[in-house]
Amino acid sequence: MNKLEFLTRLRNCLEKGGMNSDDINDALTYYEEVFLDAGFGKEEETAASMGSPEDVAVNILRESGIQISGPEAFAPQPPPAPAPMPQYQNPYPYQGAPVQQKSGNWGLKIFLGVITFPIWLPVLIVVVSVLFAFIVAAISIVFAFIATGIGLILGGIAALFEVPSIGLMLLGAGLIFTGIVLLICKPVINRAIPAMGRGIKGVCNWICGLFRKGGKVNG
Amino acid sequence: MGFSINAGLLDAMVLSIVQRNDTYGYEITQYLRKAVDISESTLYPVLRRLQKGEMLETYDKEYMGRNRRYYKLTSQGETSLEEYREEWRNHKKKIDSILMDEGAEENEQA
Repeated sequence: MNKLEFLTRLRNCLEKGGMNSDDINDALTYYEEVFLDAGFGKEEETAASMGSPEDVAVNILRESGIQISGPEAFAPQPPPAPAPMPQYQNPYPYQGAPVQQKSGNWGLKIFLGVITFPIWLPVLIVVVSVLFAFIVAAISIVFAFIATGIGLILGGIAALFEVPSIGLMLLGAGLIFTGIVLLICKPVINRAIPAMGRGIKGVCNWICGLFRKGGKVNG
Repeated sequence: MGFSINAGLLDAMVLSIVQRNDTYGYEITQYLRKAVDISESTLYPVLRRLQKGEMLETYDKEYMGRNRRYYKLTSQGETSLEEYREEWRNHKKKIDSILMDEGAEENEQA
Protein backbone atom coordinates (compact mmCIF):
# COMPACT_ATOMS: atom_id res chain seq x y z
CA MET A 1 0.00 0.00 0.00
CA ASN A 2 1.42 3.37 -0.85
CA LYS A 3 0.99 6.63 0.95
CA LEU A 4 -1.89 7.84 -1.18
CA GLU A 5 -3.85 4.64 -0.76
CA PHE A 6 -3.29 4.59 2.98
CA LEU A 7 -4.34 8.20 3.42
CA THR A 8 -7.36 7.82 1.16
CA ARG A 9 -8.62 4.80 3.03
CA LEU A 10 -7.97 6.50 6.34
CA ARG A 11 -9.92 9.54 5.23
CA ASN A 12 -12.83 7.40 4.09
CA CYS A 13 -12.97 5.60 7.40
CA LEU A 14 -12.81 8.78 9.43
CA GLU A 15 -15.53 10.30 7.30
CA LYS A 16 -17.66 7.23 7.83
CA GLY A 17 -17.04 7.51 11.53
CA GLY A 18 -18.58 10.97 11.39
CA MET A 19 -15.52 12.91 12.46
CA ASN A 20 -15.58 16.60 11.64
CA SER A 21 -13.47 17.74 8.74
CA ASP A 22 -11.02 19.78 10.81
CA ASP A 23 -10.13 16.76 12.90
CA ILE A 24 -9.87 14.59 9.81
CA ASN A 25 -7.51 17.04 8.19
CA ASP A 26 -5.45 17.26 11.34
CA ALA A 27 -5.11 13.49 11.46
CA LEU A 28 -4.26 13.22 7.78
CA THR A 29 -1.66 15.94 8.12
CA TYR A 30 -0.05 13.94 10.88
CA TYR A 31 -0.03 10.67 8.98
CA GLU A 32 1.20 12.30 5.82
CA GLU A 33 4.02 13.83 7.81
CA VAL A 34 4.92 10.43 9.17
CA PHE A 35 5.25 9.16 5.61
CA LEU A 36 7.39 12.12 4.63
CA ASP A 37 9.60 11.85 7.70
CA ALA A 38 10.02 8.11 7.22
CA GLY A 39 11.52 8.80 3.82
CA PHE A 40 10.37 8.93 0.29
CA GLY A 41 11.30 5.40 -0.69
CA LYS A 42 9.76 3.80 2.37
CA GLU A 43 6.07 4.30 1.75
CA GLU A 44 5.19 0.62 1.62
CA GLU A 45 7.25 -0.13 4.69
CA THR A 46 5.76 2.74 6.66
CA ALA A 47 2.22 1.82 5.69
CA ALA A 48 2.86 -1.77 6.73
CA SER A 49 4.26 -0.72 10.11
CA MET A 50 1.21 1.39 10.85
CA GLY A 51 -1.23 -1.41 10.28
CA SER A 52 -4.43 -1.19 8.31
CA PRO A 53 -5.96 2.25 7.84
CA GLU A 54 -9.18 0.83 9.26
CA ASP A 55 -7.48 -0.07 12.54
CA VAL A 56 -5.79 3.29 12.68
CA ALA A 57 -9.13 4.98 12.07
CA VAL A 58 -10.78 3.05 14.90
CA ASN A 59 -8.13 4.24 17.33
CA ILE A 60 -8.42 7.83 16.21
CA LEU A 61 -12.21 7.75 16.38
CA ARG A 62 -12.19 6.19 19.83
CA GLU A 63 -9.78 8.83 21.05
CA SER A 64 -12.07 11.56 19.82
CA GLY A 65 -14.98 10.01 21.66
CA ILE A 66 -16.62 8.23 18.76
CA GLN A 67 -17.34 4.66 19.68
CA ILE A 68 -16.80 2.21 16.90
CA SER A 69 -17.12 -1.50 17.40
CA GLY A 70 -13.93 -2.17 15.47
CA PRO A 71 -12.49 -2.13 12.00
CA GLU A 72 -15.42 -4.38 11.01
CA ALA A 73 -17.55 -1.29 11.38
CA PHE A 74 -16.10 -0.24 8.07
CA ALA A 75 -17.06 -3.64 6.66
CA PRO A 76 -18.76 -2.20 3.61
CA GLN A 77 -15.62 -0.13 3.40
CA PRO A 78 -12.92 -2.58 2.25
CA PRO A 79 -14.65 -3.55 -1.00
CA PRO A 80 -15.32 0.05 -2.03
CA ALA A 81 -12.04 1.08 -0.47
CA PRO A 82 -9.96 0.29 -3.56
CA ALA A 83 -12.61 1.95 -5.70
CA PRO A 84 -11.93 5.49 -4.51
CA MET A 85 -8.41 5.07 -5.75
CA PRO A 86 -9.03 4.74 -9.47
CA GLN A 87 -11.80 7.25 -9.08
CA TYR A 88 -9.38 9.59 -7.43
CA GLN A 89 -6.82 9.16 -10.19
CA ASN A 90 -9.08 9.57 -13.20
CA PRO A 91 -12.57 10.64 -12.31
CA TYR A 92 -13.65 11.25 -15.92
CA PRO A 93 -14.41 7.72 -17.11
CA TYR A 94 -16.69 7.29 -14.12
CA GLN A 95 -18.90 10.30 -14.43
CA GLY A 96 -20.45 11.20 -17.74
CA ALA A 97 -17.34 10.78 -19.80
CA PRO A 98 -18.80 12.13 -23.09
CA VAL A 99 -20.11 15.30 -21.49
CA GLN A 100 -16.93 15.90 -19.58
CA GLN A 101 -14.70 15.30 -22.57
CA LYS A 102 -16.78 17.35 -24.94
CA SER A 103 -16.70 20.42 -22.80
CA GLY A 104 -13.07 19.75 -21.95
CA ASN A 105 -12.11 19.46 -25.62
CA TRP A 106 -14.14 22.45 -26.66
CA GLY A 107 -12.87 24.52 -23.77
CA LEU A 108 -9.34 23.48 -24.55
CA LYS A 109 -9.73 24.45 -28.17
CA ILE A 110 -11.05 27.87 -27.30
CA PHE A 111 -8.37 28.24 -24.69
CA LEU A 112 -5.63 27.29 -27.14
CA GLY A 113 -7.17 29.55 -29.76
CA VAL A 114 -7.13 32.43 -27.33
CA ILE A 115 -3.65 31.95 -25.94
CA THR A 116 -2.08 31.36 -29.35
CA PHE A 117 -3.67 34.47 -30.86
CA PRO A 118 -0.32 36.33 -30.90
CA ILE A 119 0.78 33.69 -33.42
CA TRP A 120 -2.26 33.18 -35.61
CA LEU A 121 -3.56 36.72 -35.62
CA PRO A 122 -0.53 38.24 -37.39
CA VAL A 123 -0.43 35.30 -39.81
CA LEU A 124 -4.10 35.75 -40.61
CA ILE A 125 -3.61 39.48 -41.07
CA VAL A 126 -0.63 38.93 -43.36
CA VAL A 127 -2.44 36.36 -45.53
CA VAL A 128 -5.53 38.51 -45.90
CA SER A 129 -3.45 41.63 -46.52
CA VAL A 130 -1.35 39.97 -49.22
CA LEU A 131 -4.42 38.66 -51.05
CA PHE A 132 -6.05 42.05 -50.77
CA ALA A 133 -2.87 43.71 -52.06
CA PHE A 134 -2.84 41.38 -55.08
CA ILE A 135 -6.40 42.24 -55.96
CA VAL A 136 -5.79 45.94 -55.53
CA ALA A 137 -2.58 45.72 -57.57
CA ALA A 138 -4.32 43.81 -60.38
CA ILE A 139 -7.19 46.28 -60.43
CA SER A 140 -4.75 49.19 -60.41
CA ILE A 141 -2.72 47.79 -63.28
CA VAL A 142 -5.81 47.17 -65.34
CA PHE A 143 -7.16 50.56 -64.43
CA ALA A 144 -3.81 52.15 -65.32
CA PHE A 145 -3.77 50.50 -68.73
CA ILE A 146 -7.33 51.47 -69.43
CA ALA A 147 -6.63 55.00 -68.21
CA THR A 148 -3.61 55.17 -70.47
CA GLY A 149 -5.69 53.98 -73.42
CA ILE A 150 -8.48 56.42 -72.68
CA GLY A 151 -5.91 59.16 -72.10
CA LEU A 152 -4.36 58.47 -75.48
CA ILE A 153 -7.76 58.50 -77.13
CA LEU A 154 -8.77 61.79 -75.44
CA GLY A 155 -5.31 63.26 -76.15
CA GLY A 156 -5.62 62.18 -79.75
CA ILE A 157 -9.03 63.79 -80.13
CA ALA A 158 -7.69 67.00 -78.55
CA ALA A 159 -4.57 66.97 -80.76
CA LEU A 160 -6.64 66.20 -83.86
CA PHE A 161 -7.70 69.84 -84.16
CA GLU A 162 -4.20 71.29 -83.81
CA VAL A 163 -1.92 68.74 -85.41
CA PRO A 164 -4.26 66.34 -87.17
CA SER A 165 -1.55 63.81 -88.06
CA ILE A 166 -0.29 63.44 -84.48
CA GLY A 167 -3.84 63.54 -83.18
CA LEU A 168 -4.87 60.71 -85.44
CA MET A 169 -1.81 58.74 -84.49
CA LEU A 170 -2.48 59.20 -80.75
CA LEU A 171 -6.15 58.39 -81.21
CA GLY A 172 -5.29 55.26 -83.14
CA ALA A 173 -2.64 54.23 -80.63
CA GLY A 174 -5.10 54.80 -77.76
CA LEU A 175 -7.80 52.70 -79.43
CA ILE A 176 -5.33 49.92 -80.21
CA PHE A 177 -3.91 50.03 -76.71
CA THR A 178 -7.31 49.96 -75.03
CA GLY A 179 -8.44 47.19 -77.29
CA ILE A 180 -5.36 45.09 -76.57
CA VAL A 181 -5.68 45.70 -72.84
CA LEU A 182 -9.33 44.73 -72.78
CA LEU A 183 -8.64 41.75 -74.99
CA ILE A 184 -5.85 40.48 -72.81
CA CYS A 185 -7.37 41.42 -69.51
CA LYS A 186 -10.91 40.31 -70.04
CA PRO A 187 -10.49 36.62 -69.40
CA VAL A 188 -7.84 37.28 -66.78
CA ILE A 189 -10.03 39.78 -64.97
CA ASN A 190 -13.02 37.53 -65.28
CA ARG A 191 -11.17 34.72 -63.61
CA ALA A 192 -8.67 36.43 -61.37
CA ILE A 193 -10.99 38.61 -59.35
CA PRO A 194 -13.51 35.92 -58.39
CA ALA A 195 -10.59 33.56 -57.80
CA MET A 196 -8.99 35.96 -55.35
CA GLY A 197 -12.34 36.53 -53.72
CA ARG A 198 -12.75 32.81 -53.38
CA GLY A 199 -9.25 32.63 -51.98
CA ILE A 200 -10.02 35.06 -49.16
CA LYS A 201 -13.32 33.35 -48.53
CA GLY A 202 -11.57 30.01 -48.48
CA VAL A 203 -9.04 31.14 -45.90
CA CYS A 204 -11.79 32.55 -43.70
CA ASN A 205 -13.85 29.38 -44.05
CA TRP A 206 -10.83 27.27 -43.21
CA ILE A 207 -10.22 29.22 -40.01
CA CYS A 208 -13.90 29.10 -39.09
CA GLY A 209 -13.91 25.43 -39.96
CA LEU A 210 -11.19 24.73 -37.40
CA PHE A 211 -13.62 25.71 -34.73
CA ARG A 212 -16.82 24.50 -36.33
CA LYS A 213 -15.31 21.09 -37.01
CA GLY A 214 -14.31 20.73 -33.39
CA GLY A 215 -17.84 21.50 -32.33
CA LYS A 216 -19.34 19.07 -34.84
CA VAL A 217 -17.07 16.18 -33.92
CA ASN A 218 -17.90 16.51 -30.28
CA GLY A 219 -21.50 17.57 -30.62
CA MET B 1 8.37 -5.98 25.39
CA GLY B 2 6.73 -8.45 27.63
CA PHE B 3 4.86 -5.81 29.61
CA SER B 4 2.06 -3.82 28.22
CA ILE B 5 2.20 -0.09 28.43
CA ASN B 6 -0.97 1.64 29.40
CA ALA B 7 -2.24 4.94 28.13
CA GLY B 8 -1.17 6.91 31.20
CA LEU B 9 2.38 5.71 30.94
CA LEU B 10 2.50 6.50 27.25
CA ASP B 11 1.21 10.00 27.95
CA ALA B 12 3.87 10.49 30.59
CA MET B 13 6.67 9.32 28.32
CA VAL B 14 5.55 11.55 25.49
CA LEU B 15 5.42 14.55 27.83
CA SER B 16 8.91 13.74 29.00
CA ILE B 17 10.27 13.49 25.47
CA VAL B 18 8.71 16.80 24.50
CA GLN B 19 10.00 18.42 27.68
CA ARG B 20 13.62 17.84 26.60
CA ASN B 21 13.02 19.83 23.44
CA ASP B 22 10.20 20.62 21.06
CA THR B 23 9.89 17.85 18.59
CA TYR B 24 7.67 16.30 15.93
CA GLY B 25 5.62 13.14 15.70
CA TYR B 26 8.01 10.93 13.86
CA GLU B 27 10.88 11.71 16.21
CA ILE B 28 8.74 11.10 19.28
CA THR B 29 7.89 7.66 17.95
CA GLN B 30 11.56 6.90 17.34
CA TYR B 31 12.36 7.81 20.95
CA LEU B 32 9.52 5.74 22.31
CA ARG B 33 10.64 2.77 20.30
CA LYS B 34 13.78 2.57 22.38
CA ALA B 35 11.55 1.42 25.21
CA VAL B 36 8.24 0.32 23.81
CA ASP B 37 7.07 -1.44 20.73
CA ILE B 38 4.71 1.08 19.22
CA SER B 39 4.02 2.13 15.70
CA GLU B 40 3.71 5.59 14.24
CA SER B 41 -0.03 5.17 14.17
CA THR B 42 -0.31 4.61 17.92
CA LEU B 43 1.13 7.98 18.72
CA TYR B 44 -1.40 10.16 16.99
CA PRO B 45 -4.29 9.49 19.38
CA VAL B 46 -1.91 10.08 22.29
CA LEU B 47 -0.77 13.43 20.92
CA ARG B 48 -4.35 14.36 20.19
CA ARG B 49 -5.39 13.51 23.73
CA LEU B 50 -2.55 15.52 25.23
CA GLN B 51 -3.36 18.42 22.97
CA LYS B 52 -6.99 18.38 24.00
CA GLY B 53 -5.95 18.19 27.63
CA GLU B 54 -3.88 21.32 26.95
CA MET B 55 -0.68 19.64 28.00
CA LEU B 56 0.83 20.02 24.58
CA GLU B 57 0.55 22.75 22.03
CA THR B 58 1.67 22.73 18.45
CA TYR B 59 3.28 25.04 16.00
CA ASP B 60 4.35 24.56 12.42
CA LYS B 61 7.90 25.01 11.32
CA GLU B 62 9.16 24.84 7.79
CA TYR B 63 11.32 21.91 6.97
CA MET B 64 12.53 21.16 3.45
CA GLY B 65 9.77 23.05 1.76
CA ARG B 66 6.93 21.69 3.86
CA ASN B 67 5.50 22.30 7.28
CA ARG B 68 6.36 20.07 10.13
CA ARG B 69 4.19 20.11 13.22
CA TYR B 70 6.20 20.59 16.38
CA TYR B 71 4.90 19.78 19.83
CA LYS B 72 5.65 21.95 22.81
CA LEU B 73 4.98 21.35 26.47
CA THR B 74 2.57 23.75 28.15
CA SER B 75 2.89 24.76 31.80
CA GLN B 76 -0.03 22.48 32.50
CA GLY B 77 1.85 19.70 30.76
CA GLU B 78 4.86 20.47 32.90
CA THR B 79 2.82 20.13 36.09
CA SER B 80 1.20 17.00 34.81
CA LEU B 81 4.57 15.47 33.95
CA GLU B 82 5.82 16.06 37.48
CA GLU B 83 2.73 14.34 38.85
CA TYR B 84 3.26 11.44 36.49
CA ARG B 85 6.88 11.14 37.60
CA GLU B 86 5.91 11.12 41.23
CA GLU B 87 3.24 8.56 40.53
CA TRP B 88 5.70 6.44 38.61
CA ARG B 89 8.18 6.49 41.46
CA ASN B 90 5.50 5.20 43.83
CA HIS B 91 4.26 2.71 41.31
CA LYS B 92 7.77 1.47 40.63
CA LYS B 93 8.49 1.15 44.34
CA LYS B 94 5.37 -0.92 44.89
CA ILE B 95 6.08 -3.15 41.93
CA ASP B 96 9.70 -3.53 42.93
CA SER B 97 8.73 -4.38 46.46
CA ILE B 98 7.07 -7.45 45.11
CA LEU B 99 8.92 -8.22 41.93
CA MET B 100 12.43 -7.49 43.18
CA ASP B 101 11.57 -8.57 46.68
CA GLU B 102 12.77 -5.19 47.90
CA GLY B 103 9.77 -4.22 49.98
CA ALA B 104 9.91 -7.56 51.79
CA GLU B 105 13.45 -6.83 52.92
CA GLU B 106 12.38 -3.39 54.06
CA ASN B 107 9.48 -4.91 55.90
CA GLU B 108 11.71 -7.43 57.53
CA GLN B 109 14.17 -4.74 58.55
CA ALA B 110 11.44 -2.51 59.87
